Amino acid sequence: MSDPSSVGGTNVEGESPQIEPTVETDEATITDDAELERTLGLTGGLAIGIGTMIGAGIFVFPGLAAGRAGPAAAGSFAIGALVALLVALPASELATAMPKSGGGYYYISRGLGTLPGAVVGLSLWFGLVFATAFYLVGFGYYAVDTLAELGVTVGDGLVIPLALLFGASVTVLNVTGTENAAKLQNGIVALLLSILIVFLGYGGLDAVGLVGEPSAPEQFAPFGTMPVLTTAALVFTSYLGFAQVATVAGEMRDPGRNLPLAMVGSVLVVGVLYVAAIFVATSAFGSERLAGFGETAMVEVGRHYFGSIGAVAIVVGGLLATMSSANASVLSTSRAIYAVSKDALLPRRASHINLRYGTPHVALGMAGGPILALVATGRVELLAEVASFLHLIAYGLLCVALLALRRNEPAWYDPDFRVPGYPVVPILGALASFVLLGFMQPASQLVGIAIMVATAGWYAYYGRDVTLKGVVE
Amino acid sequence: MSRVLVPLAILESESVSTGLPTLLATMDVTVLGYHVLPEQTPPDQARLQYEDRATDALVDLEAAFEAAGGSADHRLVFTHDREQTIDRIADDTAADAYAITGTTGPVDRFLVTLSGDVAVDRITAFVTELVGDREIGVTLVLATDDEPSGRDSLEAAADSLAGHGIDVATELVVGEPPLEALLAAAVGHDAIVMGEQAPSLRSFLLGEDAERVAAESVGPVLVVREHRDETAAE
Repeated sequence: MSDPSSVGGTNVEGESPQIEPTVETDEATITDDAELERTLGLTGGLAIGIGTMIGAGIFVFPGLAAGRAGPAAAGSFAIGALVALLVALPASELATAMPKSGGGYYYISRGLGTLPGAVVGLSLWFGLVFATAFYLVGFGYYAVDTLAELGVTVGDGLVIPLALLFGASVTVLNVTGTENAAKLQNGIVALLLSILIVFLGYGGLDAVGLVGEPSAPEQFAPFGTMPVLTTAALVFTSYLGFAQVATVAGEMRDPGRNLPLAMVGSVLVVGVLYVAAIFVATSAFGSERLAGFGETAMVEVGRHYFGSIGAVAIVVGGLLATMSSANASVLSTSRAIYAVSKDALLPRRASHINLRYGTPHVALGMAGGPILALVATGRVELLAEVASFLHLIAYGLLCVALLALRRNEPAWYDPDFRVPGYPVVPILGALASFVLLGFMQPASQLVGIAIMVATAGWYAYYGRDVTLKGVVE
Repeated sequence: MSRVLVPLAILESESVSTGLPTLLATMDVTVLGYHVLPEQTPPDQARLQYEDRATDALVDLEAAFEAAGGSADHRLVFTHDREQTIDRIADDTAADAYAITGTTGPVDRFLVTLSGDVAVDRITAFVTELVGDREIGVTLVLATDDEPSGRDSLEAAADSLAGHGIDVATELVVGEPPLEALLAAAVGHDAIVMGEQAPSLRSFLLGEDAERVAAESVGPVLVVREHRDETAAE
């Protein structure tokens, strides 16, 4: 084994990036003296992508989005899907070239250098923290509605306490180990998809006038195009899950085939569902009334089409979906922290795991603590936009990293999947990601920029001397 | 030489009792140290922290097998899925059998079961090589509902072993469930050799036969693997 201190520099605590030569096969990653089994299949990858994404777009955003953009909110979701797809393709190429845990951070630090890598790596941590807080607040709204359906009216005052309670339990559950969590997640995703397909199938037929009564026509974009774009920026949080697939790239069997399929496939599946959901929701009520229902507007849509059974189905779906998104994001957060600390940009002890439970308790705490603090603010739109902001920066840079790697094509760069339409797709992906940033509320942009400046400052203080192998200058 | 895979949960202090290295002295041994992680922990994260500790333990075990006169190497795998890892490494090393380590001292006599749909030729070939020129006795047990053909098959196998100078006893059990017959016969034996069976609904519900035998007989169980290429061709 080569002495890592000679290749990677050290941080202020004298720790160096842990980089060892590895051989990647379809079934395992082989290091000098150990092997890492690849245990996730395509279904598992799709479940991670869909399970992370499916919560927000359908169960939290329809009311908010329709209030801003009218029926054209469906267009906002389509724009989001398009941007996600433009990023998912380059991300797939990078993931098959570097099928290791770490995702976006890993590709950017190897493609563009340590500073952008550090900023993205640490920003992704915070981005996921914001996203998780957002999912948890959504969960709170659904929990209150569930109680209401059960006949216990508690009012919105309990939204935040319930979200905090659930956020704390998710963290504790993950520290003590979740046996069969993946199987449970697969089951939840399958159940959600079934509920949604029945619901959207019938609702769609009704909306186009094939069954039921014709609905009153409404102007498609009553507020013009600008709100459609700002809404796209807001709802982009709904599409953050596809990149989570890349964070488990090191555990996926046959990554050359399964990674692109899981990433692109999950974006397509949820994109179609989102656009259909908004279409059905705005057809049922008209956007003004829909906006009045707020975060749980879909429950009323369910009631409209199927009576109280529909409302209960949507409430259950909303609980499951926000739960699975929150859980998946907590896990991704701890993985993001691990990837960065492995490269000595955070203290090594941040990624320690305890032998009793086999879980990274420090990293999970570093996820859970800030998440609870943010949940307490209860600012749904701000949380969602900051999460999108930090992810979009990473996505844009990821496309740039692909361009940089392809220009210099180092010897180790040998992806199994190559982006179709190179260089147009990654260039469009980068542009689309950065342009979407411009349509966010100033407050979200400020918080996002502040976090990035802080992470750059941390790098300058802590890891300035670290250089990462595979960097293309 | 045939190869036996010995999988061990290495970081949970699972080890081998003194009798096993002696029993396997005529074999090539691959000690597979594995560590199963919950889904939320990337295997690489555990490797960073525990690789050295696990490798130390594996090197010691390797030495124990070599001290008994065999030849041994080791593999270390961090995984979410124990079965998948054992299957992959067994294919990778072309292992002929894998061992479920139990507790045993020196082995004087072991039990070989031929019940069910198993490759009798492969089992007898393996047993012949395992005994080698040592003074270890073998009892063959076969549980069946078809007495005449069971007796034929049992005697053929016994003849083949006796031809190599092995002390063989046979036991035919008629009309009893194979697993119960095997466990009843296991008394007075130090280890068990059995064939790998195709997964059945029962093994899915109750766990693999080999695991159940190992749990109930206490001693080590050696499971002779199906020949993958042959089964694929059928």
